[in-house]
Amino acid sequence: MSVSLRMLGVTCRHGTVTAVDRVDLDLAAGEHLAVTGTNGSGKSTLLRAILGLHRQTSGLIEVAGVRARGPADWTRRRGEVAWIPQRQAAGRFPLLVRELLASSGHTEQAVDAAEGLGVGGLLDRPLGQLSGGQLQRAYLARALGQVAAGAGMVLADEPTAALDFAGQEQVAAVLAALPVSVVVVTHDRAVVDVCGRVAEMAAGRLRETR
Amino acid sequence: MNSLGALMELPAVRLALVALVLGSVSLPIVGVFVVGLDIMPVRFAMMHVALLGIAIGLLTGLDPLLCALVLCGLTGGALTPMARSDTGLSGAMGLLMTLAIAAALLVLSISGVNANGAFELLWGSILATHPRDVIVLAVLAVLVPVLYRLRRRDLALLLHDRELALCSGVAVERLTLVLLVVVAVAIASAIRLTGALLVDALTLLPALAARRVGRSLPAMIRWSVIFGLAFNLGGFLLALLFDFPPGPTLVVVGGLCTLLLHAIPSSSLLTRKDTH
Repeated sequence: MSVSLRMLGVTCRHGTVTAVDRVDLDLAAGEHLAVTGTNGSGKSTLLRAILGLHRQTSGLIEVAGVRARGPADWTRRRGEVAWIPQRQAAGRFPLLVRELLASSGHTEQAVDAAEGLGVGGLLDRPLGQLSGGQLQRAYLARALGQVAAGAGMVLADEPTAALDFAGQEQVAAVLAALPVSVVVVTHDRAVVDVCGRVAEMAAGRLRETR
Repeated sequence: MNSLGALMELPAVRLALVALVLGSVSLPIVGVFVVGLDIMPVRFAMMHVALLGIAIGLLTGLDPLLCALVLCGLTGGALTPMARSDTGLSGAMGLLMTLAIAAALLVLSISGVNANGAFELLWGSILATHPRDVIVLAVLAVLVPVLYRLRRRDLALLLHDRELALCSGVAVERLTLVLLVVVAVAIASAIRLTGALLVDALTLLPALAARRVGRSLPAMIRWSVIFGLAFNLGGFLLALLFDFPPGPTLVVVGGLCTLLLHAIPSSSLLTRKDTH
């Protein structure tokens, strides 16, 4: 199976603090990896580094065999990788759910996904007026739209943190059914259980446990 | 009370009216960008940069106001990398303000130019509108709505969240650069109309009022232009009728209307809030 994500000696710093420390990882196409670990262990920074959102990063990160070197490469990569951020921006300036879903590149699929996730009736509502759980479902629907538009990988940062038990189960089932590679940072047992591989992050180091 | 008909015969009043209408098309939209980019202190920063431009103009013998306009535009562009920093553009405004005023005072001191003369150029008046100001405003009245029309999806994402825009294929750096240059030039032009201290009347007040009733970027843009026209024309006519100074009257009218909108409970506005 081809390698979807390769990380070699990836180190990320926040100023003088090392958040991610020499991480190596190979993820085959279609594999699902859950990353667990305590708060502040570097999980979110690791995901952000893959997207080029964390600037103080060294080491090799390849997605589908391509290393991003310039702005055009990063733009391409961000089109190939769907992203569910941990703290979704919800307020500085109004953005409608409809506009968020349209940014996926496949509006129709994203809107269908939103219907399935129970937020289809909120298309004309600004993100700032959604609850935490509704916001997470809207971002998941966007990610599903991105996959329909051609993204080969989903990075999800605690996508069930604001959901009730039923919601956690539902999102876990949606992630499990994705035909693309998935890296999901989570503390949620339901999500961990549907992933084929599990790794734990501690003090910036990644250690595979399953 | 003055006769409005007689006043409208005056070329200065007619030119001011044209400038206000043109300004009301573009400057409130710029105000929406300013609110979205979280760079409210931009007017102070640009006032200082404009002063530096005027000082350079006086020193070199070039047109001081043209120098101010060009320098504001260049400075806006130069600020783009700061959008990536932790302090963001808001922090950059503070830095710019301090640097620009220090540089302006230095240039004025070295050149021996009368500083009061330079400062006077900043106290614009709507009734002293020059045809050249109208041309700049006419260009902005076309350019700004066209920019919004062509890039509204990207603008909505960028103004909401820079990282979401990055992850949605928006050319964030380039769009930020364009926005900052447009904002800087627009603010510099508006300073000529109402003076530096009152520039909010044309930009921020309509945008702040629009934010109260619009729930999306398209709705806010539309409302900002409507409020801009209403505040500016209403304030100007009031000033003409009662022989008030136009600049402060525009601000008082716009400010009171914005305040009134904020005094109305959200629940009453919510049912009518506009999304498209």
